[in-house]
Amino acid sequence: MLVGSASIDVLLRDLATATIDAFGTQDVELGAVACLQVVAEMRKRSREALLPPSLHPTIPPAMSLQVWDVGASPWGAFTMVMCRVSCRSGVRARGFTTAAFVSTEAACRELRRQFGFPARVADVSLRHGYDRVTATVTFEGNVIAQVEAIDPEPMANDDVQYTGILNLAHTPNGARLVQVEPHHHATRVERLRAALRSFDGAAWGSALLEPAFVVSSSLALESVEIPAIRFVCKPDQLAFTGTEAV
Amino acid sequence: MKFGIFFELSTPRPFSTAAERAVYHNALEQCRLADELGFDHVWAVEHHFLEEYSHCSAPEVFLAAVAAQTRRIRVGHGAVVCVPEMNHPIRVAERAAALDIVSEGRLEFGTARSSTWTELGGFEVNPDDTKKTWDEFVRVLPQMWMQDEFEWQGKAFSMPARNVLPKPYQQPHPPMWVTVTSPGTELDAAERGLGCLGVSAASYEEQERRTQEYHRRIRQCEPIGGFINDQVHTMNFLFCHEDYREARRIGVPMVNSFNVANAHLYWTREAYPTRAYQFLGNVGAAMKAKKAPADDPSVAKGLPEGVGVGDPDHLVRTIKRWESIGVTGINFLLNAMEMVPQQAVLDSMRLFAREVMPQFRSERETNAPVYTPASVPAVGGR
Repeated sequence: MLVGSASIDVLLRDLATATIDAFGTQDVELGAVACLQVVAEMRKRSREALLPPSLHPTIPPAMSLQVWDVGASPWGAFTMVMCRVSCRSGVRARGFTTAAFVSTEAACRELRRQFGFPARVADVSLRHGYDRVTATVTFEGNVIAQVEAIDPEPMANDDVQYTGILNLAHTPNGARLVQVEPHHHATRVERLRAALRSFDGAAWGSALLEPAFVVSSSLALESVEIPAIRFVCKPDQLAFTGTEAV
Repeated sequence: MKFGIFFELSTPRPFSTAAERAVYHNALEQCRLADELGFDHVWAVEHHFLEEYSHCSAPEVFLAAVAAQTRRIRVGHGAVVCVPEMNHPIRVAERAAALDIVSEGRLEFGTARSSTWTELGGFEVNPDDTKKTWDEFVRVLPQMWMQDEFEWQGKAFSMPARNVLPKPYQQPHPPMWVTVTSPGTELDAAERGLGCLGVSAASYEEQERRTQEYHRRIRQCEPIGGFINDQVHTMNFLFCHEDYREARRIGVPMVNSFNVANAHLYWTREAYPTRAYQFLGNVGAAMKAKKAPADDPSVAKGLPEGVGVGDPDHLVRTIKRWESIGVTGINFLLNAMEMVPQQAVLDSMRLFAREVMPQFRSERETNAPVYTPASVPAVGGR
């Protein structure tokens, strides 16, 4: 059984790790959301190296980019993007966040503080038309990801699978994987053919993040509910023994 | 009640030629013993690229060896992945017929469409198409076996008129099955007159609901082949020991290991948005399986509900429960990742055959050939 081999100390140092001073009890509602998801396979060499020892990689190793263009939230309108490595926590399908970028200071601060996203402020744009969707992420003057997705096909509202999010963060329990489990309520879903025009793995947490083959992409118009954190996991123990309720 | 054994040929890391050899040859030894002990079926899956979980990518080769080393046990090709990028339907028909001949009419023929992106992506299969190609395959295969001039214009493939050879030993053809992972596939099986080959965990309650609906629907089916196969088999695990504590100590980690490895597969729905895959493989079903009620004796012993791990008494009770809800056969996974030593696997099989099997059949039935060609119609009406 494969498990992650990344050093937790190195991850904590390199991933813009957030700090949660106290676990919140309030759910957060995001309205008028456009969510672009791109899934890509990676090379075998990155399979275990990107994950902490508590998580299992998928075969083949895979990563995803999710861009959320949020029209309404307690922190105002914002756009965010997260890069996640597909994995398993115990038997559950999850994505381990290596980096997140958010377009506003307020949203970035709250996403770090409440949910442990390793978020930084950047220019994040998502444009969707009838023929294509584009997304660009510019951080400190450098374009670190560019996505172009074309040829949208209508899908049913429940045809896209979003896996739960695991953010490595400092928490009141110590360094933990924080389980964020957004509920997506889509009103329109399209599947597209995507290409990653550019992607700078190092800027997203590791040069080993190399999308070798784009598998799929989708765009959902939806609302998103992010429940308050219920569980965290010790990053050095398998989920069967390392999961803690908060 | 039929009893089968079921092989994924899971192989633990580190991979080596010695490890691969041990897995294959241990399995063949188990098949020979199963044949002697009166088990009814040997099933071998078809999977590709599923590291550790299943190294059974050429089941027709493995099953040919099984056929050559056994005399009475049925040989289950379960299941052939019915997508043309992996298997051309003409080759499927030819290989199956040859295996039926080599085994002297002992072939059971399973069909499937694959549920992981690991496999579908590896062969560049469009997941949207797999239900369609599966349906096309299951309709044409019996015709290839039964007609001496077959031609076809379809979506998955086309061919001018040819005589697909050889014809199967069993007439009109071997019993056909569908592997059932996603809820609802049992209805596809029923509507086509195909046997229901369960390969995922389900609770008694869920299995009973599915089985009842299967039997209700198959009564009005339009059979795609020469006869109806109305059997419902489920997949289970087997580790039988006189001491339930020892059974639990050895068997439960084996079950858990298999379930964890299964959950780690990269399911199609996770990678690719599609109507054709509405569930994350077996994971959903396994998670929904209920724990045993508190008054169930298996709970007091720490044995899992419905799972074939325990002492003979526990297994008899468990199997009677499956039988009571309409299951006609159980196919047991004997090992996972080679966690159970081979000698313990063989001892478990012997104890099961000695103490459990006789509760469900006579000695004569145990020793009789299993569905010889002449008795094939007994599994359904023509």
